[in-house]
Amino acid sequence: MTLTDFVSFLVKNTKTIMEYSENHFTLVLLAVGISLLIWVPVGLLLTKSDKWAARVLALANTIFCIPSLSMFAILVTIPMFGLGRKSALLALVLYAMMPLIRSVYDGVKNVDRNVIEAARGMGMSTKRILVEILVPLGMPIIFAGFRITVVMTTGIAAIATYIGERNLGRFIQEGLVRSNTPMMVTGALIISIIAIGLDTILGVIEKRIVPKGLRVSR
Amino acid sequence: MIQLEQITKQYPGQAMPAVDKLYLSIPKGEICVLVGPSGCGKSTILRMINRMIEPTSGIVKIDGQDVTSTNPDQLRMGIGYVIQQIGLLPHRTIAENIAIVPRLYKWPKEKINKRVDELIVMMGLDLEKTRGKYPSQLSGGQMQRVGVARAMAVDPPIMLMDEPFGAVDPIARTHLQDELLRLQKEIKKTIVFVTHDINEAIKMGDRIAIFNAGQLVQFGTPEEILTNPINEFVEDFIGRDRVVKKLNLYLAEDAMKPIKCLVRDDELQNVARKMKDAGAEVAFLVNEAGKACGQISAGDVEEFGMDIEGLRKRAQRRSNAFVQTTTPFPDALSLLLEYDADYLGVLKGEELCGVLSFQGIRKHVYRKEGE
Repeated sequence: MTLTDFVSFLVKNTKTIMEYSENHFTLVLLAVGISLLIWVPVGLLLTKSDKWAARVLALANTIFCIPSLSMFAILVTIPMFGLGRKSALLALVLYAMMPLIRSVYDGVKNVDRNVIEAARGMGMSTKRILVEILVPLGMPIIFAGFRITVVMTTGIAAIATYIGERNLGRFIQEGLVRSNTPMMVTGALIISIIAIGLDTILGVIEKRIVPKGLRVSR
Repeated sequence: MIQLEQITKQYPGQAMPAVDKLYLSIPKGEICVLVGPSGCGKSTILRMINRMIEPTSGIVKIDGQDVTSTNPDQLRMGIGYVIQQIGLLPHRTIAENIAIVPRLYKWPKEKINKRVDELIVMMGLDLEKTRGKYPSQLSGGQMQRVGVARAMAVDPPIMLMDEPFGAVDPIARTHLQDELLRLQKEIKKTIVFVTHDINEAIKMGDRIAIFNAGQLVQFGTPEEILTNPINEFVEDFIGRDRVVKKLNLYLAEDAMKPIKCLVRDDELQNVARKMKDAGAEVAFLVNEAGKACGQISAGDVEEFGMDIEGLRKRAQRRSNAFVQTTTPFPDALSLLLEYDADYLGVLKGEELCGVLSFQGIRKHVYRKEGE
């Protein structure tokens, strides 16, 4: 492959690249959004019961261990889901369960118990303690989990091309089948750029989100 | 007034109740210390007052009102709470930490700011330097000052303190204790104070409740408890040196006698006759300005006779053998031993106002012991 081949591929297929990128992006966005809506509250709830926390975290770990190709294959066989976006979304949300629940749970559980005890003793309500103490103090750990989830989802989303998602993964898949190097490289490159870009942006936000009192030194 | 009526707390899976059918009345405006070995239930009792723990049975009343008639958060907002681990919010500044309860009461901003400044100053912290700092930038002693300030923010009539000074170093602890006592003279709050240190209990308490294994063993003033320990447990707990501990309860002015004889330097030759005329056991040497600068006892006069120079030297060697009226007995005794003296001059500020003797201390303590 020469650089000219690559550039000419980019120019000829701009429309397709844009379409696939958009599909890829929306799938990741949707999956992460839905995951946050479901798993953050679940993670918070689990901090109330050690028994349930152990059970749910074990389940999340098990799901996380399933290889992604197998996961897509399994979901496709379920009539309600089948080929397409529904299965892709479900798989991504299931994968996000482990890092999100774990980080929310650990983040909140790591908050100094004495701070909570003092806050309760001063008459702060449970809701206030959650919003003003548990979430801000757990945020460094929670956000680290969120960052991993986003990067991971971007990668696994590419594999969803095998169950009919028309996204950047398709370039790699078809490129491999047709021995089309420029096509393969385009897919691989753009996916990597999206993943690294998102991670960098989130890294910057992560630094700012740590409460100031935890950053100052004596 | 806080009343505990037949309070029992049984934790699941434990054979013995943590607190067993307890009756206790804690009078208004006093410091009541709950003391006992660890696991005696003292912290549990404290935490049942603000419903951090609910009793298995029995009623807690504050000013006659059952605490369960108030929503727990509302109840706790009206009671100051200080714990050993302090629990300052690490992501909030000192000012924000102190402002927590006023904010729960939705005070206007200016009122909160004013109160926060007032408390920082009251706690002996540097206002400008401390206000915007974060807890991790303070020392342990400073943090607990903030902890106490935070508990006093809305001026609650009751404060619950769970081993508040247990985690700070001994010097800071003494300072914090002294300052709380000084403050208490002005603010007169009902303070329930938990500690496992009997010395702290004696120092801080207007009243002491001694617990063992969930039972109230003895309840009384420090003097009552040190004078008449009710049983062997209390005797052991307060220690074999209980009478020595009792010395802490008295000040120099309690056993001070009037001064009978003052001598100027040029009267040293006649000191024996002067003392005899006055019927004094001790004479104080005063300088031209009328300030006391030494002391001569009858024994010294006998020892030196007409050796005026020796007498002067002996008198001047004790130029620091003076205490203030507010000096506690142990410090006075230490001075007596240090100067190998039988008497100490008692000063009020700069002015000599009395004499404290070894014998006087002994008699004072014995009289109290005999009562």
